[in-house]
This record gives sequence, C-alpha cells and structure tokens, in this order.
Amino acid sequence: MPKLKLPRTLPGPAEPLAPEPPPPSTLLLGRREFLKGLGVVLAALAAPVTGARRAYAAARGRFFTGHEFATLSALCDRVIPPDRDPGARALGAAHYIERMLTAFDHRVPLVFAGGPFSNRNPFPDNDDGTPSRRRPKDAFRHFIPLTRVQEIRWRAELFGSAKVRGADFNDALLGPLTGLRTIYRQSLRQVDQTARAMHGKAFVRLEPAEQDAIFALLDSGPASVRFKADRRRGVTFIDLLIQHTLEGCFGPPEYGGNRRLRGWTMLGLEGDDQPLGYSIFSRAKDGYNERPDHPMSTPNPDELSGPRPISADANSVQDTIIAFTRIFGSG
Amino acid sequence: MARRKPEDDVLGKRGLARFDFCIIGSGAGGGTAAHVLTAAGKNVLVLEAGPNPFPGLDDSAGLPLPLHSNDELKYSLRSFVQQDGFLEPRTFRGDPAGPAAVNEDVNVLPRAVGGAFQHADAKTPRFNAVDFRLKSTIDALIAANPGLMVPGFNDPMSPVANFADWPFTYADLEPFYVEAERLYGVQGKQGDNIFESARSQPYPMPPGVPMYFALLLADGARQVTLPGFGTLNPHAYPAAINSRFYDDRPPCVDCGLCSGFGCPNNSKGSPAVTTLRRALLTGRCQLRFNAQACRLVHDGGHVSGVEYIDGAGRRQSVTADAFMLAASPIESARLCLLSPAPGGAVLGNSSGQLGQNLMFHYQSNVNGFLPRRVHGQRGRAVTHGISDFRGVDPGGETIRLFSGNTRVFLGGICEFGASQGQPISEDGSVYAIRLPVFRGFRARSGTTLKNALRDGALGQHLFGLTMQAEDAPQRTNFVDLDPTYKDVYGLPVPRVTYMPHAYEVAAREFYVPLMMQIVHNAGAPEEKIFLTPTDQQQGAAPSSRHIMGTLRMGNDPGTSVTSGDRPGKKLGQFHDVDNLYACDGSVFPTSAGYNPTLTIIAVALKIAHGIAGTPPETG
Repeated sequence: MPKLKLPRTLPGPAEPLAPEPPPPSTLLLGRREFLKGLGVVLAALAAPVTGARRAYAAARGRFFTGHEFATLSALCDRVIPPDRDPGARALGAAHYIERMLTAFDHRVPLVFAGGPFSNRNPFPDNDDGTPSRRRPKDAFRHFIPLTRVQEIRWRAELFGSAKVRGADFNDALLGPLTGLRTIYRQSLRQVDQTARAMHGKAFVRLEPAEQDAIFALLDSGPASVRFKADRRRGVTFIDLLIQHTLEGCFGPPEYGGNRRLRGWTMLGLEGDDQPLGYSIFSRAKDGYNERPDHPMSTPNPDELSGPRPISADANSVQDTIIAFTRIFGSG
Repeated sequence: MARRKPEDDVLGKRGLARFDFCIIGSGAGGGTAAHVLTAAGKNVLVLEAGPNPFPGLDDSAGLPLPLHSNDELKYSLRSFVQQDGFLEPRTFRGDPAGPAAVNEDVNVLPRAVGGAFQHADAKTPRFNAVDFRLKSTIDALIAANPGLMVPGFNDPMSPVANFADWPFTYADLEPFYVEAERLYGVQGKQGDNIFESARSQPYPMPPGVPMYFALLLADGARQVTLPGFGTLNPHAYPAAINSRFYDDRPPCVDCGLCSGFGCPNNSKGSPAVTTLRRALLTGRCQLRFNAQACRLVHDGGHVSGVEYIDGAGRRQSVTADAFMLAASPIESARLCLLSPAPGGAVLGNSSGQLGQNLMFHYQSNVNGFLPRRVHGQRGRAVTHGISDFRGVDPGGETIRLFSGNTRVFLGGICEFGASQGQPISEDGSVYAIRLPVFRGFRARSGTTLKNALRDGALGQHLFGLTMQAEDAPQRTNFVDLDPTYKDVYGLPVPRVTYMPHAYEVAAREFYVPLMMQIVHNAGAPEEKIFLTPTDQQQGAAPSSRHIMGTLRMGNDPGTSVTSGDRPGKKLGQFHDVDNLYACDGSVFPTSAGYNPTLTIIAVALKIAHGIAGTPPETG
C-alpha cells in the first residue's frame, strides 16, 4: 500500500480552497505599515558578524553557541509546545538538530543508525509463542559507515554542494544546495533580529505568545519579513525547522531526540518493536499468538465498545485532507 | 574515516579468474538468474550499484541478521537504501514535445544488494493466464462482438496502444511460478482467490495473522455487487513473507514497518536472503557492490566487457563471455543508451523500440478515516485484497464483458492498506508542511499540530484500498537520456516521458465508485471517504514503484528488443546482440494488473534455465 500522496502545490487553475486567514498576530503587531517598515529595519540589522561574536563552541558534536541553542530550543517549543505532555525542548529536538548538523564530527558519521535491533524489546519464544526474557544487544547505537557517494550527499546536505568535492554536478543548472549549517546559523540570527526589531529583546526573552507571533510572522507574514523558500530545496527555514523538530521528537532516540521515548509514549505508539513484534509464532500450536495489549486483528483494547473520540483539531486535519483532494475532482 | 577499498566491496568468491556471465543488478531478476546459472556450474559476476545492507551474506555457517531496522528516519526520510534524488535525479515530462523537469522521485527504487524487493511489502500474486495472450484475446472479442469498443484497440477516440502477446503461455510459465514461490517462500491460501489461474502446487506456507482493518474491508467488499457478476470476493494476499520457519529463516513477527523498509529478521523473502545467498554459497559467484555500471563495451553485435565506477570512485572494467541486464527497466534501458555503437547507434535498438513501452501500474487509491484506530503499525502492511477488478472471469482464462458486451474494464488487484503509523512522514509533516490552509484552519505548529498528532488523525485512522491497474504499453511512454542533467557519477540521468491513456482511465472511472462503497461498508462515514488524485492530476511524476517494459521480448525482431524462445535465440536474449540478455521487468510485453515481482522472478527463472539447459525445481 503506497503512502497517501498529497501534492506540494495546488493545481494551477483550481479555485482557492478558502479565503486566506487573517494576517497572523495582528493584535500584537498593530498596523500594516509597521510590518512594511520592519523589513527595512531587518535589512539594516543584517550586518556582518564580527569575529568576537563568532565564539562557537569548538567541542566535538557542538555547533551552536549557548544563545543559538536556547533560541533554537524555544523555536522547537513553538512547533510542539509543552502541555500535559512534554514539548519539543524537553524531548530533545534541538539536541537532535545539533547532532545532525555535527554528524561528521564522529569517526562514523551519525546518519544511519545501525540494525537490526535496539534492546528495547525481547526476542519471542517460539516454542510456546510468548515473549522470552532474552534481549538483543543494542545495534542502533552503532552507526553505519557511509559509502563514498552517501558521504558526498550528506556533506552537501550539511555544508553545501559548492563546498563538497564532487557534489556540484548539477549546481550550474539548479543553483547550489545551501548547507543546513549555513541555513540554521543565518536563520537563527534573523529570528533574533526580528524579535529585537519588534520588542527590543532577544527571542528567548519573550513570552510564549510573543514568540508565537514572531514565528507566525516569519512563516507567513509580509514578503519583506517572512523567510523565503530556498531555491534548490523549495522550502523555507520554517519548513525545515518543523520537519526537523518532528524528527527530533518522534525519531528513534539514538539520533539524539525522543528523550526517554516520551515522544512515542505521547502518541500511543510502541516505536521500534523488533524482534518481538506483534504476532508470536508458537511451534506448540503451529500458529500465532497475538499480544492482548497490542492486538493485530482486533480493535485496540480501549476501543472494543466503541471508538475513542478524536479532538476537533484531528477532525479538522481529516476534513482538510478530504477537501484538498476534492478540488482535483473525482475522476 | 578510512577510505573503503574496492576489495572491501565484494561478497562471495574473490578468486574467480573468468566469468561465464556478468549480471548487472542483484535484485529479483539478477539474484534469481545468478542462482540458476551458478547451480548449473557457471561462474557468475554480479555488479550492484548500491551498498550492502547484508554483511556476511556469503557466510556458509549461517545467514546473519542484516542492518535493516524499524527506523523511520533511516528509511522514510534519509534514503538508507532508496535511490537518492540529489545523487541520482531523474527528469520527467508528460508531454513528449515539452521540456523535462528534474524530479527527485520518478518512480525511483532502492539500489542495494538484493534490489528493490527488499523495500516492498513483498506481495506476490501471479498474473492471470489471459495476461499472456491479452492482445489476441481482445482482438477475438472485438471480432465476435460488433458493439464492443476497447480504448487502445478499436476506440476511435483514443490512439492505438502497442499491445502484444507474450512469447509463451501461462502454462509454459506455471512450473517457474512454482519454483519462484518455493525459492522466495510465499504464504497464501489456495482457492481463496477465485480469479487465480490454475496452480499445480499449493502455496508453500499458509497466511499469517490478518490485520484488523483488512478484515473490515473484506467484510465491506462482500456486501458490494459488481454489476452483472454478483458480490466481490476478498482473499488473503499472497506474499513472500514467512508465516512459518522456512528455508532457515524465521516467521514474520508483523513488526509493521514493512512497505518501504528492509526486514530486520530476514522473514521477508527478498532476493538477498533467498536466491542471491544460494548463488554466493556455490563458490562460483562473486558480487561487487557499490559498483555503478556506466558502459557496455561492444562492437555493435557482441559485448566484450562492462565499465563501472567502484566504491572509491575509480573507473574499472571487467570482461565476461555473456552479459545480463537486471538493473530494473529504467536503468537497464539506460545502460544500453549509455553504450552507443561506434557509429552512434543505440546498442540493441534495431527494432527502434528500446526504452519504449515503459509501463507503470495506474494506481487508484480510495481512502477513508475510520472512527476507531486502525493500528496499521501492527502487521505486514497488506494481508488481504480483491481481484474482482482485474476484469477477468474466475480462473483468469477469459475477459469479462460489461454493459451488454460493449465494454471491458481491465483494472487490477486491490490491496487493502492503511497508514503504517509513521508519526513523522505519515502524520506530522503531512499536517504541518503539506496541507494548505482550509477555512482558516491550519495544523502548522503549536497545540493544534500536537493535538492532531496525539490522535493520529492520519496515521491511526487512514485506511482504504489501492488498485494496481494495468497500464497499456505505448511507444510514446519511454525512457531516454536527459540532455542536460547529470548524476554523481557524471552520467546523463534517465529522462522519463509518460502519460496515462484511455485504456487505464476507463477502468479507474468504472471501479472507483465500487471502491468507495467498500470503504463505506467497512465503517468509514460517507463524509470521511475520498479518492486520492492521480500523479498526473497532481502534476507529479509516476510513483507506483511497479516498472515494466523498455526491453520488450517477442519473436519478431522488428517489434521487440529481446527474443522469445525461437530457433537460434534463447528467451531474453537480444535479437541483435549475440551475448546480451535481459532478465528483469524490462522484458514484459504487458503489465497485467498484479504486483509484478513474482512474475519477474518466474520469468528470470525461465530465462536462466533456458540458458543453463536445466529444468525448474518444482519439488
């Protein structure tokens, strides 16, 4: 079964889905003229960085300054904020991102975690079809060496195609691939500049509601203020930040996020479940046992008598997907 | 990190001095051929462009566990074994007169030891008997039914497609289907699918545990009537996945991360752990991985060697008595195109059809949101389906006529599927990045996004069915070399020119309303059911992952690239090159309406046994 495929852009001639939402955060920002002026202020602030300010941590595995890391953590918390469950900061999303950006600080770059098993689940006992007490060694911890071309690919991703030998083969036609390290460093500076222009304070010193407003402005504010889509990647910094925050919250913890598996716990997911799995073959009965707490062929235990209601937000996501597909017609 | 040396990138026998065969590609076609040829005493070199996720695959003491794992980042987001769109882009256009745009995913497949099948959920239905003589059967139906109008055949509203019968029958291939099911370890239930053509042997293993949502869809299908032919017939889906201890490999534990993932415990019968391993253990097979073939050296009618770029980036060459293309249809054709004859003519293209008749299954995907959670993260992706929409009679020997003998609707098998519960790629990034604003609602970030994630709006509730409908062969659907873009090896990338035609669109329009009824009967409220737009409607490149054609086989050298079994030529041999063969999906004359891999394996077995002069092993 292929994944649900949704287009990245709307089809040309189709009607717009709905009226545009009101401009974000008008309450906090005030008049439209202010937004226009903000672009000018930002351009003035984008001065070259001095050597003194470039006191980046040189330690292995470190890329961000303390201030950058705090700014990034605050941004991640705008994507997945804390509530009854942990937010992205507590889940280690910023740590995940830094680990990705410093993948090549390690003898074996931290790109592909090893396999086949973590040690989070036991082996099955196939004599009687139950979980055994034996657990595998944690192979996820041992990352897999990259091939020559994989190294070109991931170095280009992090450092930029123009800076990696053998990675610029389509740059003349498509433009160079900007490295994620450059994108993060410059974009975090732009976030702070916007915060200072609006509130006279660094982003991390603002209240969550003010941070949300700046996040929205940088995402979908006027063209002079919001992040522009990278030419080669076709996405903005906010797109990348959201994507990487999700990865840091819900990926395997060996990549640096999903602390104490609380990302998976929050979603009610079991995470990687090998080698036990969900159906345990029993030689004794020449058939399978299912796990009662995690059934495969029957509804979840808490939904035997009826579906568990979903939130209005989840319902709206479903309806948006349906409305989106319908503009393509039913043919 | 220490540079890899070419000698690190070898599996199997290192000391072989000469090779009877060099096979390019180690997947379902190449791995299978390597097994048959080495078993018959031939020395075989296999070149594989990708890396090796199976360290120790050649260990005679036992099959080690692979590097595959339940890791969404590694597979769905970081292309551990999938062809990488930055390193090896392709270009695509729908209009042959227009320009092609670079596209990171034009039906790309994994490139790694063991090939693309390791990434599939290993569904292995057979083709029907009528699929091997579809053209002559439809021609005869048109002659016998004056009112019958078939797009691509006699419908004046659509161009004539390039259908051809296969150069052998289902009965000819059946023993090789048996051998394929035994080698790869297929589970299934004989008699469950009334449309399946005659089997001489039962499935090697019974079906494993069914998935919850699949049982709902099966119940839903039993309540739907196909006009004129009664209610639908859901069946267990055959799959090369162990449901028992089989061939020294354990049973599947239904870990869930199956489609798009390599199998961590080797219960998926992919080529590496079945045929390729057998070949490596003979002592007559050497496999060089991280070896990207870039040119066949030849004089127009005879190939003397192949040049490749090794894992250290150096150009190497190797000779063999004969060569076999098994790199999948787009890449096998591309290698011919990269190897012009001294005068500039394309190798093997005396028919003028090399690279043409490129076929992708035309998928129709109807989904719904089930109020209960479908928990698709438990199971092997697809456990059930229906074959009613293939449009053939029970037994698969004849074609059904609809609407008073005026229409045929040759769709395909439907897989019952659901989200696999991947929180990043199936849930979060869809809500936050892919979805537009609708009525002011956006799940871009914050509590809205978090709430939708916690409920698994998509990942725990999406289920439905996908029809793998037949794609009519067209000379205007083809692969050639892109004139501008290059891959990381400096080679021109493949340019795919493709658009669907009336034949497959008619089947989609006929069956989609029935697919919607199934999803509704299975428990999705009417307002929670939708039809996914096609790739073409979305302006996207084809993404079915089922790729066939480009080196069509047939007995007429004027209309096919590779040969049938005829005097002086062997099945799969190029008509105009004496020591070059193809044994992957590229040789298919038509695409049928079933997942192609079991048929790729069976055809590779028939081709390789034909060369070796050995019979199929049917037990």
